[in-house]
Amino acid sequence: MGALAHYLETERVATTQISLIREHTATIQPPRALWVPFELGRPLGVPGDAALQRKVLVKTLELLEAPAGPLLLDWSEPYGPAGDQDASTPSVWACPITFSRPPEDQSELDRLIAACRSEVTELRPWYDLGLKTSGRTAVVRFEPEAAFDLLSQYAVKGEVAAESYDGPFAVALRLAAQDIKAFYFEAVASRPGGSPPDSAAFNRWIWHETALGQLLKAVKERCLSETDEALRQTGALLLVPLEQA
Amino acid sequence: MARLDQMAESMRAHLAHLPCPTFADHPWVEGPPLSQRRVALISTAGLHRRGDRPFEGLSGDYRVIPGDIEAGDLVMTHLSTNFDRTGFQQDWNVMFPLDRLRELVREGFIGSVAAYHYSFMGATDPAAMESSARNLAGLLHGDRVDAALLVPV
Repeated sequence: MGALAHYLETERVATTQISLIREHTATIQPPRALWVPFELGRPLGVPGDAALQRKVLVKTLELLEAPAGPLLLDWSEPYGPAGDQDASTPSVWACPITFSRPPEDQSELDRLIAACRSEVTELRPWYDLGLKTSGRTAVVRFEPEAAFDLLSQYAVKGEVAAESYDGPFAVALRLAAQDIKAFYFEAVASRPGGSPPDSAAFNRWIWHETALGQLLKAVKERCLSETDEALRQTGALLLVPLEQA
Repeated sequence: MARLDQMAESMRAHLAHLPCPTFADHPWVEGPPLSQRRVALISTAGLHRRGDRPFEGLSGDYRVIPGDIEAGDLVMTHLSTNFDRTGFQQDWNVMFPLDRLRELVREGFIGSVAAYHYSFMGATDPAAMESSARNLAGLLHGDRVDAALLVPV
């Protein structure tokens, strides 16, 4: 990000930026930057908190009126609900949906796939409700069932045709994984009377309590056994977060 | 919280080893008062229009996002699985603060919002983005942009 600012400023475009990783910005020294202490993926702070987002924007834009630089300003104000700023505080959220589980007389992978299929089926009405309410989804290419089919078929027998995407198969796998996780979040976030899980609670749920998390780890392992470099890279880095590997 | 010293070791090591160039010079461009500036958003979140090409790799390419885009038409295909996406799912402004910029125009805090915004795939080696960035500068000048607001992910 800082390098982009440097290149643009060299081409006579004034820049200002938000910084999420202070160490990187301090090394690159772009012209103007506001370091914020927010989670990766949330450079403006807290979803739905327009006042906080506005304050971040105003502070970042005001750097354009400074007389000289490079400038790296630190965000120093409290933000968000109490507890959000302490990464060690465990978030409390429990998914209210109890999934049905398949019978025991199947192989481990078959049981996993059957369990994941049940999850997708049981979450679908909540996802549909959320989409109807908000009119917006982060699902990009793969409808939930298509994402599930691609991931589960690959886990069983390797590369298969990806009807929703005609690019490289490794990219199709990644997009399917991203889309099905987006589907899971939007489904649980849309249930009536509850609030969406925070990111830590959602990750804990996906990776430790759902069959999807286990299926994605199985897909990762299969990718790592491939000779195709793109699939190996996808398995190594792009399906399961480093913190969950 | 995005502090390297507070992250799990696997994540800290990953981020600490991302390419991080240094530059001998420090360019600095002056401009008009904020109330007269035209602002473009430049994201590295791998954002694009719903029908546009997904990001497939680390080639330094970017996507054009029309200034009149609405939240439902903006999606993300960033490669990394190591940052939160649920904030963006709930409120696009947490990553692409176009509504907030539009409000700042109505308040007179900034002059206008650009006709086009742009998104790269973050984590790309900056050297691979240099030529795209220099081309992008020409597009920004053409749109009379005098403030590029860069937003990481």
